[in-house]
This record gives sequence, structure tokens and C-alpha cells, in this order.
Amino acid sequence: MIDDTLMLRLRVEDLLFEEADLLDSWRLKEWLALYTEDAWYHVPPSDVDGDTADPDTSLFYIIDDAVRMRERVSRLSKIGAHSEHPRSKVRHIVSNLRVRRDGAVIRARSSFIIYRSKDITSDAFVGHYIHEIVERDGALRIAGKKCVLDMEALRPHARISIIL
Amino acid sequence: MERITTGIIDDPASNRFLVPRRVFTDRAVFEREYAAIFDTCWLYLGHASELPAPGSFVTRKVARRPILFTRDRDGEFHALFNACPHRGATVCRERSGKSPAFMCLYHGWTFGSDGHLKTLPGSSGYPEGFKTDPQKQMVHVPRMERFGDFFFISFARDGEDLATYLAGAGDYLKLVSEHSASGMQIVGGTQEYAIRGNWKLLSENSFDGYHAACNHSTYLEYLKSANGALSATPLAGEAFDLGNGHAVVEYSAPWGRPIASWVPLWGEEGKAEIDGVYAELVSRVGAPRADRIARKNRNMVIFPNLVVNDIMAITVRTYFPTAPDYMEINAWALAPREESEWRRKYRLYNFTEFLGPGGFATPDDVEAIEKCQQGYATAGDALYNDISKGMIRSDAPSFDDEAQMRCFWREWDRRVTAAKVMADA
Repeated sequence: MIDDTLMLRLRVEDLLFEEADLLDSWRLKEWLALYTEDAWYHVPPSDVDGDTADPDTSLFYIIDDAVRMRERVSRLSKIGAHSEHPRSKVRHIVSNLRVRRDGAVIRARSSFIIYRSKDITSDAFVGHYIHEIVERDGALRIAGKKCVLDMEALRPHARISIIL
Repeated sequence: MERITTGIIDDPASNRFLVPRRVFTDRAVFEREYAAIFDTCWLYLGHASELPAPGSFVTRKVARRPILFTRDRDGEFHALFNACPHRGATVCRERSGKSPAFMCLYHGWTFGSDGHLKTLPGSSGYPEGFKTDPQKQMVHVPRMERFGDFFFISFARDGEDLATYLAGAGDYLKLVSEHSASGMQIVGGTQEYAIRGNWKLLSENSFDGYHAACNHSTYLEYLKSANGALSATPLAGEAFDLGNGHAVVEYSAPWGRPIASWVPLWGEEGKAEIDGVYAELVSRVGAPRADRIARKNRNMVIFPNLVVNDIMAITVRTYFPTAPDYMEINAWALAPREESEWRRKYRLYNFTEFLGPGGFATPDDVEAIEKCQQGYATAGDALYNDISKGMIRSDAPSFDDEAQMRCFWREWDRRVTAAKVMADA
């Protein structure tokens, strides 16, 4: 018998795997559709406690609200987004998922390794995701995600031009 | 050291300014740069606000050297080489914090915030006076000076004082310190990244007005889309030679500035607050300077590698090469010590729209720099970079000319070929 907690984890895992697949295959508009209308996407720097850091008071790498997430996707579709034109090869590996309900929100923590390869370089981003997920009409939607880099610095990386 | 001729062609009579591409790839040039530039110039260390109280410290690398920047119990600032006088191990191994003393992990020698040896385990094994021997204390960087709240160090024992070195750049550091009556501070959180390119390409890029329209077309389109329309404020302005290799471009631009240049993206709530900020500024510094502070953008490079860009937010950025084709960059956000939660939030939001590895512009700067570096491998007949734009003009150089870069390159050329360094050969 599959209990509720395990079932929830499987549903969230499906969602995160779907997200990874859409990002790896550059289907960014479909990726955006996994998120709520008022979603957010944050990447804190590595010299603060990423789990608790607040983008209103600390400098981040990425502080996207829903407007900027849409603009990010729009930008990445243009040839003028030079850093990703031609596009890099991307692979998101997601694992170690833990899920818990917190009122109406489902909080998910997972580990990631993301490779970005282009030209002469291949860089790995290592860290953990903190997803906030909500139920909308029986489906799961992402209300926000924070990508905490478990790295000493963004080196030798020069950019987060892909979506983590 | 072997004599180096940089090969820069600086020929105003025929409007030619050419930089040979080997200066970005040559290992001998790279080593010469450390000797002639990084080991002698004033280099940015940090901002007073990063050490808010007695006992505060940060560790960072400056020109390949590990530095411990501290405040002692009297509040005095110190720049120490972060290496134990006993065997050389790194004494402080934390990034930042507050501590009255630093204990070396190896044998327990313990130092005060001013670097003096406080505790010497097993002292009976040493002669009298050993503990106070100057050679048994942590070593201060030869020179440290502050300009306002900006701290600089120099590894050269002699040379001009900091204010003389900064020349015209000093007033621009003052200008960026006048945004608030409460003073300025570094906001927590550092952007630490790297570029696989020569460090001089970032000095050039940091105040290159010419590349905006092409390299950052998607950023300008974002501004238009996110704000409903592109603001009527055009990109227009001038470049100024600040002396000693420092230069600045000062110009108007269509983006919002959290100091009195409101954009619709921030919402109506913010408009009244931004109006209030401007009124306070006018009453404090007068209308002409207030207008300049609030409405003009400034991209400044203090030779060789300090960028203070007062644009859609204020960034302080410094970078050091570890190889001809690789540099490590640290970038911070500078903001008023006291500002409303709303304004701080939108300042940081505005910062990240353009600046840094996750912004809508910096990744494309990085792409340009890395593609330049890769291009230099071709050698062949295209041996030179062209930095001549605007030489033909008889009036003031435009912000999107290359006069500011020529200031950088002339100083670079002067230092790399300098007589004093030659005498050391």
C-alpha cells in the first residue's frame, strides 16, 4: 500500500522531473506554465546562508518575480541573448527529494547537479532546490523555487545564463 | 626581467590607436603586469562598512595574496598578510566575522586583530624577547590608506599617496558617497565569479558605451517590455580622463535608478518616495550636483581593476588574473546605509536585472570577453585590436567612443614599460 506521504513525494518527483526535462530541452514556455501566475525564482550567492537569505536585504544572483521570469524566457528565445545563442547543452540531475505539507503549501527539498556545456567548456552547478508547490485544480503548480548553490563561489563559471 | 615593448600604436595624428593582441595571451606580459602594476599600484581592499565594529574581519585575496582585513579593539583598521609568521599557514580561515583574536590551527600561535602575537604555546622553549620580536608578528601590508570609506592597499613600500594616485577619480568616489546623508554601505552578499578571458578586457568592457546597443539589445528590449515603453531618456553623454589611467563615462540612460529616476516597473507607491529622495538630495548638495547624482549614470574604472558603476544600481567590482586567459571577479552592491525597505528591495531587484552572472546583460558581456580571448588564438594577420573610436572628434569624446579605454591603455603602457621596472632587470 502506498501511503499519502509517499504518494505526494511521487507526484512532486514527477513535477520536478518534468521541470528538468523541459529545461534540458529548452521548452522554456512550457517550463513557465509549470509555475503559478505570481511565482518567483531566486538564486542566492554562496557567501550567505542560502536557505534563509532574503533577496530584499541581500544581493542575489537572481531575484525573478513572475514578470522577470517571463522576460527571462522571452530573452532566452532571442538571438541577441548571445550567451545562449547558439544554445548550450544542459542536463539537470535531480535527486534526494524530501517533501512535507505546510498548510496549503507543499515544501520540497532536493539536490541538483546541472551541467552546462558549450564551446570549450563544461561547468557543473551543484546545490539544492527549495520548491514551494501548491495544488491548483487538482494539479501541482510551482509557486516558487530557490536554487541554493553548494559551492564556494561561481567559479570557474562566468554566468548563470541557463535556468537552473 | 627581459625588456618588454608593448607594441601599442598610439598615433593621434592619423587617428590610430592599436593594441597588439599578444598583450592578452603572452605569459611574459602577464608576469610583467604583476611586477609593474599589481605589485605597485593602489588596489581596492574593501569598504569600511564591511567591518562595522571592533573585532570585525574579512578575508580576501588581493593580487594573489591572502589578506586579513580587520578592526582592532580600538576600531582601527588593519590589512595583514594572512599567514602565520611561524610556518606560514593561513591564520584566519573564515570569510568574515567578529573575533578578538585569531589562532593558527597548526601550533596555536594566537594573534590580536592588529596582528600582534598574543599567545605563544610552549614559550619556555624560546628565548626572552622572542614573543615581541617584530618578525614573530603577523605582517602588515606595506601600505593601506582610505579615501572616505574606500580602503586601498599597496604592496610597494614607497610611492605616491592614495589621494594623489586617485587624481580626478577621487571626486567621483565622493559623488557616489553622497547618495545618502547616512553614508553608504556594502549590502550583504557577494557575486563571485570568473571569466575565461584576460583581465584587461573587463576593464575595457566595464566602461564601454559603444557595445550597449548590440551586445545588450535584449536588456534594452526587456526595459521596454517590463515598463510598458522605453523611457524617453536617451543614452547620451561624455567620457572624462581622470588622470593616472582612471576614466569615467557620464551619461543619461533609459533605465530606472533607485536614486530619483523612477520607472513604472516599481509601481506608483515608489514614485512619491523617489520624489522625496530627490528633494532631500537637492537640499543637501544643491540642484546641479543633485541632478548629476540622481539622473546621470557613471561607469568608472580606477586603474587598474576597480570598477565603480553607478548605473541601475551601484556596483563595486574588482578582479585579478591568475593566468593571461583567466580572471576571478568579486562584485558587491553599494547602497545608502539608511533607506526604506521598499527602496532597498527595488535597488537589489534593479541591480540583478542587468548586473552579475544571472542578470540580463552581464552574461553577454562575459560571452563577448570570452569570444575575444578565443579570437586571439587565431593570430594571423589581424594582430591588433582597434581602440580608435572618437579620435577623429575635435569636441569632447562621447560616452560611446573609446577615449576612456585609451586612458587605461596609455597608463598600462607607461607602467609596463616604465624605467624603474626596467632598472630591476
